Amino acid sequence: MRSKFKWIFSLLLALSMQFVFAQEKTVTGVVIDKSGIPLPGVNVVIKGTSNGVQTDFDGKFSLKSKEGDNVVFSFIGYKSKSLQINKSNNYNVTLESDAVQMEELVVIGYGTQKKREVTGAISKVSGKDIANIVTPSFEGALAGRATGVQITTANGIVGQAPRIRIRGIASISSGTYPLVVVDGMAITTGDVGGIANTNALADINPADIESMEILKDGAATAIYGSRAANGVILITTKSGKKGTMKVNFSSSLAVASAVKKYDLLNTADFLVISNEKRTNRGQAPWAVGSAFDTDWQSAVLRDAPQMNHSLSFSGGSEKTKYYLSLGLTDQTGVTLSNDMKRYSVRANIDQDVNKWLSIGTNLSVTRTEYNGLNTGGNSLSGNIFNAIRQLPNTPIYDTTNPTGYNITLPLSTNTVGQGQNTDPVGDNIPNIVYVLNNNKYYSKVNRTLASVFANAKLTSDLTFRVQASADNAITAGFQYLNPIHGDGRSVNGYLLNDNTEYLSWNWQNILNYKKTFAENHNLGLTFVSEYQKTKYQYFFGSGSDLLSTFYNQNLVTNSYATKDSGGSVSENGIISYLGRATYNFKEKYFVQGSIRRDGISKLGLNTRWNNFPGVSAGWTVSKEDFMSSLRNTVSDLKFRASYSQVGNTDIGNYPYLGLTSSSPYGSLNGLGYTQFGNNELEWESSIKTDFGVDLGLFDNRLNLTFDYYKNDIDKLILAVPTSPSLGIPGNTINKNIGKLNNKGYEFSASFKAIATENVNWELSANVTLAKNEVTKLFNGQDILGGGSANVNIAPNIIVREGESINSLYGFQYWGVNKANGNPVYYKADGSLVEGNIATSSYFVFDPNNPGTQGAASSLSASTDRKVLGNTLPTYFGAFSSKFNYKNFDFGFMFRFSGGNKIFNSTRRELVNQNLNNNGTEILGRWQSASSPGDGWTPKLWASGNTFVNLSGNATSRFVEDGDFISLDNVSIGYSLPKLVSEKIKVDNFRIFIQGQNILMITKYRGLDPEMESAGVDINGTPRSKIISMGINVSL
Amino acid sequence: MKNLIKILLFSVVVFGMNSCTEEKILELSPINNISEKDAFTTPSLIESSMNGVYNAAGIGQFNSTNPNGGRGYVWGAAFVEQGDCRGEDVVNTATFYQLTYTATYDPTTANNVYYWVDGYRLINRCNLMIEGVNEAVAKGIITSTVGNDYIGQAKFLRAITHFELLSYFARPYNFTAGASHLGIPYREVGVNSQAEIDSETLKPRNTVAECYTKILADLNDAESLITSTVKFKGSKNAAIAFKTRVYLHKRDWANVIAEGSKLNGKYALTTNPGDPFVTANNFSNTESIFSLQFSATSNPGVNAALASMYKGRRLVTISPIIWRNSSWLADDKRREEGVLVETVAGRKYTNKYKDVTNFTDASPVIRYAEVVLNMAEAQARLATPNLVASLTLLNSVRNRSLAVPATQAYTAVTLNSQLALVQAILVERRIEFLMEGRRWSDIQRLQNDDLAPINGIPAKVSNGAPAAALFTLGTPYTGPYGVAAVPSSDFKVLWPIPQIELNTNPTLAAQQNPGW
Repeated sequence: MRSKFKWIFSLLLALSMQFVFAQEKTVTGVVIDKSGIPLPGVNVVIKGTSNGVQTDFDGKFSLKSKEGDNVVFSFIGYKSKSLQINKSNNYNVTLESDAVQMEELVVIGYGTQKKREVTGAISKVSGKDIANIVTPSFEGALAGRATGVQITTANGIVGQAPRIRIRGIASISSGTYPLVVVDGMAITTGDVGGIANTNALADINPADIESMEILKDGAATAIYGSRAANGVILITTKSGKKGTMKVNFSSSLAVASAVKKYDLLNTADFLVISNEKRTNRGQAPWAVGSAFDTDWQSAVLRDAPQMNHSLSFSGGSEKTKYYLSLGLTDQTGVTLSNDMKRYSVRANIDQDVNKWLSIGTNLSVTRTEYNGLNTGGNSLSGNIFNAIRQLPNTPIYDTTNPTGYNITLPLSTNTVGQGQNTDPVGDNIPNIVYVLNNNKYYSKVNRTLASVFANAKLTSDLTFRVQASADNAITAGFQYLNPIHGDGRSVNGYLLNDNTEYLSWNWQNILNYKKTFAENHNLGLTFVSEYQKTKYQYFFGSGSDLLSTFYNQNLVTNSYATKDSGGSVSENGIISYLGRATYNFKEKYFVQGSIRRDGISKLGLNTRWNNFPGVSAGWTVSKEDFMSSLRNTVSDLKFRASYSQVGNTDIGNYPYLGLTSSSPYGSLNGLGYTQFGNNELEWESSIKTDFGVDLGLFDNRLNLTFDYYKNDIDKLILAVPTSPSLGIPGNTINKNIGKLNNKGYEFSASFKAIATENVNWELSANVTLAKNEVTKLFNGQDILGGGSANVNIAPNIIVREGESINSLYGFQYWGVNKANGNPVYYKADGSLVEGNIATSSYFVFDPNNPGTQGAASSLSASTDRKVLGNTLPTYFGAFSSKFNYKNFDFGFMFRFSGGNKIFNSTRRELVNQNLNNNGTEILGRWQSASSPGDGWTPKLWASGNTFVNLSGNATSRFVEDGDFISLDNVSIGYSLPKLVSEKIKVDNFRIFIQGQNILMITKYRGLDPEMESAGVDINGTPRSKIISMGINVSL
Repeated sequence: MKNLIKILLFSVVVFGMNSCTEEKILELSPINNISEKDAFTTPSLIESSMNGVYNAAGIGQFNSTNPNGGRGYVWGAAFVEQGDCRGEDVVNTATFYQLTYTATYDPTTANNVYYWVDGYRLINRCNLMIEGVNEAVAKGIITSTVGNDYIGQAKFLRAITHFELLSYFARPYNFTAGASHLGIPYREVGVNSQAEIDSETLKPRNTVAECYTKILADLNDAESLITSTVKFKGSKNAAIAFKTRVYLHKRDWANVIAEGSKLNGKYALTTNPGDPFVTANNFSNTESIFSLQFSATSNPGVNAALASMYKGRRLVTISPIIWRNSSWLADDKRREEGVLVETVAGRKYTNKYKDVTNFTDASPVIRYAEVVLNMAEAQARLATPNLVASLTLLNSVRNRSLAVPATQAYTAVTLNSQLALVQAILVERRIEFLMEGRRWSDIQRLQNDDLAPINGIPAKVSNGAPAAALFTLGTPYTGPYGVAAVPSSDFKVLWPIPQIELNTNPTLAAQQNPGW
């Protein structure tokens, strides 16, 4: 390849020589950088002419010129240098890297800004920081990389969108997902339809990402006005750079496995425990038979191979820049039946039409295919719900059964075989292995992100950009539920095909003015008008009562007796006008202000439009004269402050209208009242304040950043609970009532510990302290269940004034009465009550006299429950290190978080009192006054879940601290030395081994303290530990 | 040239802006949903709104975010399942109904919470229907005859739903003299504005007496207004039949008989006890009076539909307590395997609801056998008991199920007293309406009864799958009772008003059932 380029260069050289005047002499030389490395491709041009050449691969040039000519050497990333031709015919030129050009630019929304001019709180994560992490979607790798940003993957299902929180939770009823903007366009996020979980962000190939900017404070986000309340993530994809074509290839192979499994009983313990449940209740034993000792959990989990390959070509000429990439990802999940395949293509092209006009496109086409399964926390066929309940003394397979699996006959019973046990398994669960091997859930997403833009340089100070973009996600979903066993049994099999389409288009006109007056006054103005509309369209066809199991790949006409179909459409639009002014004096004093006026279709005529202002200021103290004496120590010191008001538009499409829904009665058409109208509904507003300091010490070897932030969210659109006896649809009205705030401190530090030719060591750390408080609710009314409609979560949480949002709410547990094994709880007044397991009733408990039953009492869900803890971490952060020694590199990142409580509902499931398997915790149960167990686990009582474990409410018995430190990733790489890589004609060749989620240090007794949703851990699929190896090659 | 291109570029942009007009982007209205304001603007929409009221009755919403995602609260499935599981004649085998079965519920338990929530959701739809129809009649969109039919049906549903809620959230009629104890708020205003929310929230619980007065007034209106005669909608006769139930609870024996007599000749008991439960005949048999209808695509679903829970998933068995009751003869047709009973692994399940695939069985709200037994009981309990009439009515229900009626039928000799007769009728109700959700309402009304009192919630067989041996006939079941009785004095006899109601309604928050 290299020889080919040499040939091209020679040709270019020859072409350029044709223009040379005859009387000139030939001057030659070498262009090198500061460290003496030759620079190829440097433009060597005689000033005022178009005569020029480029240096060859050894940095050499040869140019016809005459004495007195000024020759300019220019190269991207370096300061241009000019020299006058004198008598000498040979010139060796050293170019210095261009501090200004190389200065880090930060994408800020409708433009970029030099990092040192930024007055808002923006975290930047470079694409290459996460390039080698094996993750289904880029955002999964963002965890720990920026202050104030929490990203949690709550389970090991490939395809499930991680939870993202930027400076806390900013809404109760409305959306809490940040706005994601890719190359200037706000894209669809979340689940994009189909049957298996999908994640709209996973349609972006992580290898295509140049950088991600996370806009956190008001000043930074105000430019996105109405949609900025939850923060904004700006993603910039790679583009070509002037120069020769670069080819990058990277490939990795990985194996994922469950980080941890539940500690379940083996058959021997299972028999003892199960029968003790019964004998305690005076019933005959129900667990019989020890011929098998089946590990059902391991039967649904597996070691899963994963691979990623990406190939990109980028480069550019004077006028055309391009970036092309191909990606292939194939990831298998740690649970049976779960995987994802992604095929992606991206083409970014930028073309200068003439001196003042350039046009370009960003185009990405992705096909992402997910296979999923039922993971329902209380679904009989939910993979973990089911597996942890299966009886270890029963087998998975049974060759004598017509299905080959251990299933009760007749098959209509729909229950796993009970073996020799006298009773069927608790909750009549099916054989999960049969279910996972037969049912199908898939989603296939075709995603196109396309934009075209034109940049016009109207004058030297004024540029105009117009950009039109479209985001189109079309998802095909399919579900097959086998008619023989499992979820499909009841309806004799089920087939469903569906189609979901999201189409957004966006049009932006951006006018940018930038001018420096009187040398020191730098002014920037930006005006934007933006139009966006999104349409969602969905339909499905389904059939049940199947003709045969043969029909399991698609709906086939007349292969099913019961037919159904349906669909829905919704749309929303937004029109915005915004202006931003930035001014700085001597790059010392900065002021920035922006105002955005947004109109949205989601609100009524009178309240549709609103203004969202933001202001910020900065002062680079280190540039002041009085700091000059300290400059060797304090290389950079800047104070920042900002204030803004932004909004949240994730409020449903028509929240202000009174609506009905089609509500059939049997086969008759019907219409029912389903949404209460409130045409006074207004914008939610979020007032964000931020104070920050950036400090660079010792020539910026040590960089420190500190921010204090406060987000006051007002006029929260709350689905205000109404009295259910009024029968208002959903028992809620959308109202602008409610306030909450998020406050926090963010610290980050990075330190270049060693920077020598052979050794480089960079350390960085960040910590965020965060606090959330709900300050006002409608009439001070608690919202039981928070915003959750999930039956596993809602009973355990509350939104209450003065508390953190979605706090755990339930009974305070005291322990076990050692005299009789009954559970003891606190009442609201601090007194104790004992729950008599035999009669399901409560009595006053006296710890000094545990053997005597006290007076009748109660444990009231109305008055005796209390807040058991906040579910949001109050601190989190990370510590990472990058170390290079010659050709070796070694890096790791530890991440930590805590201060939150988790209701470990899975633990409660694992001590269940039915004929089901249990976790080993149950071995600590109370057996007798002389063998009282762990003092925490009550006496066993067959089928006594609701009382023994209070399965209807949270209790502090299962509430645990969520603090942890985890080794998120560690990697070792080796790059071939230049000498070798040149020999095999590559620029760079690196091999690496990496581990993710390797180590978790925590007292939390569940699988992983991050496997919670709204503070509740319920039957999650284990997250995966991934060991990968791979190569990066660039040509 | 350069300027020309610049101008062209600007023109494109301006053109782009023009195409992005405000109407196209901002003035969007729903495509999926008809505005609430338009629901009563055409005869066909009004008819659909009426069906929407039945939708709320049959499906409800439960805790779903989908307005049609409910679990059959109240009249689609829950009234049967909760009514059975509160009583002792069934055994809860899995977790599903355990909180109800073992009385371990509290103000946040979904079963009792959504009984209330979906009940009042239905009542509000009834009230909005009445108001919408009145307005439409005034505007001449429909005739008053058509309008009255709708109003009658809405009042019927409003009455029976309030009545159903009363039996769970309030003490029985005879708990205090004059029934002056607390009932439930009787809602008669369609709430769809803030002003109505504000004024309705101020209304406290009506007394039980007031509730009965309003229920009977609504049922009387329904009787006079409804012209529809189909069995899957409220009808004149359904209102009458329901009045026999209300009067029975009110212990107004004469009116039970007076109302029941109105239906003489209108309905007849089917030849075989299983006939009303043949899915295809649910609405065409002579005995069913009012049942909710379902289709394969509109039903309470796998987590609630009667056939799913009682047959498909077998979450509830018949209890040995009633199965082995000596009044239920071994050769009674109501034990017939494959007709009304299904035996699996020795356990007895009901076969009254059969369509485990499409869940299209009707949910039987009231059938004529109940009217007959209501009248039988009333005849026996009259101040001057009419034991002959009572016995005849009782036998008319029982005899069709007997293998040899000639020898097995009750006679004036075998039931020779008022007490014996009433007790026989009460057992007969348990057998005849087994797995139809009627047990709780009998337990509730018989608290402190003068003849056959029940003290609180009776003791039950342990939850979990009962051993097959427990179903062996020959001796009555005498224990063990793994689920202890809850005495009448215990606060747990009543369901608590849901916590979400207390949180949002200061008026009712001050009126929670005592003890909760």
